[in-house]
Amino acid sequence: MEHLALENKLSPAFFKARLISESIGNVIGFIILIGLFWMKGYFNWPEWADWLVIGAFVIHCIGTFWSFIEPKFLYQSWGYQLDREFLQISHGVLKKEWVTVPMTKVQSVTTSQGPIMKAYQLRGIKVETMGSSHSIPALDEQVALELRERLAEYAKLKDVEE
Amino acid sequence: MRYHPLTILFRIYQLVRNSFVLVLFLFVIKGQSEFWLFEYGRYALIAVIIWRIIYIFSSWFTETYQWDDHSFHLRKNVFVKQTTTIAFSKIQNVTSHTTIFHKLFGYTSITFETAMDGIDDSITFDFVSKQHATFLKELAQNHSKKSTVNDVEEKESTPTPAKEPEQKGVIYFTPSKRELVRASFTSLSFLIIIPIITKLYEYAAQLLPNPEQYNGLFYQLVENKLLLFIIIVAAVLIAVILGLIKTFTRYGKYKISATDTHIFIKKGMMNESHFTIEKSKVQGLEFQQSMMKRIFGLVEVRLISAGKIAEDSVSVNSLYPFLSMQRAYHLVETLLPEYSLEKEMERLPLASLYSKLFRPSWIWLIATACLAYFKPAFLQIQSTWWIVSLLLFILVVVSRVLDYVNTQYTIANDQIQWWHGGFTNQLFVTKKRKVIEICCSQTLLQKIWNVASVSTMNRSSTPRVEVIDDVPLDFLKKLTAWYAAHDTQMNKRA
Repeated sequence: MEHLALENKLSPAFFKARLISESIGNVIGFIILIGLFWMKGYFNWPEWADWLVIGAFVIHCIGTFWSFIEPKFLYQSWGYQLDREFLQISHGVLKKEWVTVPMTKVQSVTTSQGPIMKAYQLRGIKVETMGSSHSIPALDEQVALELRERLAEYAKLKDVEE
Repeated sequence: MRYHPLTILFRIYQLVRNSFVLVLFLFVIKGQSEFWLFEYGRYALIAVIIWRIIYIFSSWFTETYQWDDHSFHLRKNVFVKQTTTIAFSKIQNVTSHTTIFHKLFGYTSITFETAMDGIDDSITFDFVSKQHATFLKELAQNHSKKSTVNDVEEKESTPTPAKEPEQKGVIYFTPSKRELVRASFTSLSFLIIIPIITKLYEYAAQLLPNPEQYNGLFYQLVENKLLLFIIIVAAVLIAVILGLIKTFTRYGKYKISATDTHIFIKKGMMNESHFTIEKSKVQGLEFQQSMMKRIFGLVEVRLISAGKIAEDSVSVNSLYPFLSMQRAYHLVETLLPEYSLEKEMERLPLASLYSKLFRPSWIWLIATACLAYFKPAFLQIQSTWWIVSLLLFILVVVSRVLDYVNTQYTIANDQIQWWHGGFTNQLFVTKKRKVIEICCSQTLLQKIWNVASVSTMNRSSTPRVEVIDDVPLDFLKKLTAWYAAHDTQMNKRA
């Protein structure tokens, strides 16, 4: 599958930003779980609720562990490439995917930035086509804005209805 | 223009038909019940019906439509003023249904579908005269014809006079008697006798108060071998005849015709339906074959449209559902000359079979887990759960092997076509420029066998994704290269 390797990678800061946002999520998750444990004792929930809470706790622990490893693989697997005809995006860790979207079918381009991404000066890009939407999660601000312009330009150049 | 006044009557008829079961349930069957759900349900139902009736009347007074050279303009004014403009060029397909109710007055209904999604994505005329329907249809069609021609030269401006749709185009297909008979057996339509008999028995049981009487009759019957034989033969005959009647009324008046630019499909005896699509707006073709149809060498061909298609008992966009393979290929090539179907296709390598067989089956795993937990005993056999699990496993394996055997694919010029599927298999054919996206994927398991999955996406009311699993990497390379070559050609033309 080497011939499908794409030119551009995400911003290296994606790694840290992802780790931080995931960690915040995980901490919130743990707080909720602790709350559930407390409520379980306080309100005397039936026995099956124990199993549900314990199950959720185990799954959450595995998820937390995975979230420390995942960003590295995600970073490695994400790639994109753009020319006048096509936008290509590849991603996926356990299942790798390569998507090819012709510029003629691009309907809209959106960039987005949350507070953590702002701290690292990152932006995400979302491309909507006639049938689906694809995103590139984190690019350096400058790169992202430039990419948006190029996408908009190429897509507009070939704005023909089939 | 205002919609035809009988639209009101038609909508009321629809309202009556749709709420009939609910009324029967709430007021007759549960009429005495004082359970709060039924009690308030009765009030709610009355309120809804009154509301609908007010809406039907007021909407008729406030909704109008008009048209110009390029588009329809719809005006609604019930509570919020609203104007919608739909350009003729955006219309993807036209369907018209003529129910018995319409026939009573000699009218019809017509719907223009676009590829947009939302509330105002289509224009429906619930009740129009046949002439007016034809006129509207021609209006939209002539425009699209004009627009393609006018790109080259802008001369023709006088619209061609409206003709009856019956006389238009060349008829390419009407089922022969033999084909109908074959269709009747393939669809197992003679099984229709089972529900009819049970219904009849229910009535008969009420009429015969004394069951002992006909029990005795039954034993007499069994003893008299000849009489029994005659009755069985008669039952089979009746079953076949009923099946034939069903098939003939459903598929008998089938007619596929076409002009240079449009395809027309007409079907139905009691409830007629017409489907019209512009040839250039056909997004792709789908050949579908159930196990039964494969045995008889028959196939159903559907035209894929970007607009919405109302699902009925028989889907309107289907060319005849019981075409012989050869006839189907021939029909497609005459109706849509830009499609040329390849009969020689590539098959999957053996590695794909391993990849298919080793993939974990989630359905089987979950089903087995549930069975193992609940251990349902069927017919007092304790070990049923693992027998069921085993049967399911065999079914999964057989379906995968069939998928491996059935899968065939090829790329020729600007066209892609592939067969895939287990118990029911289908052929999908489309053109490069109709594909809006391709996606390749490889799981870790597929990596071991050096295979991958590829999928195409086409425009449809819900985007149509066609996946073919476990293709060799060579084909994947070929597909991406083929797709990438797409726009360079387009640029040359532009």
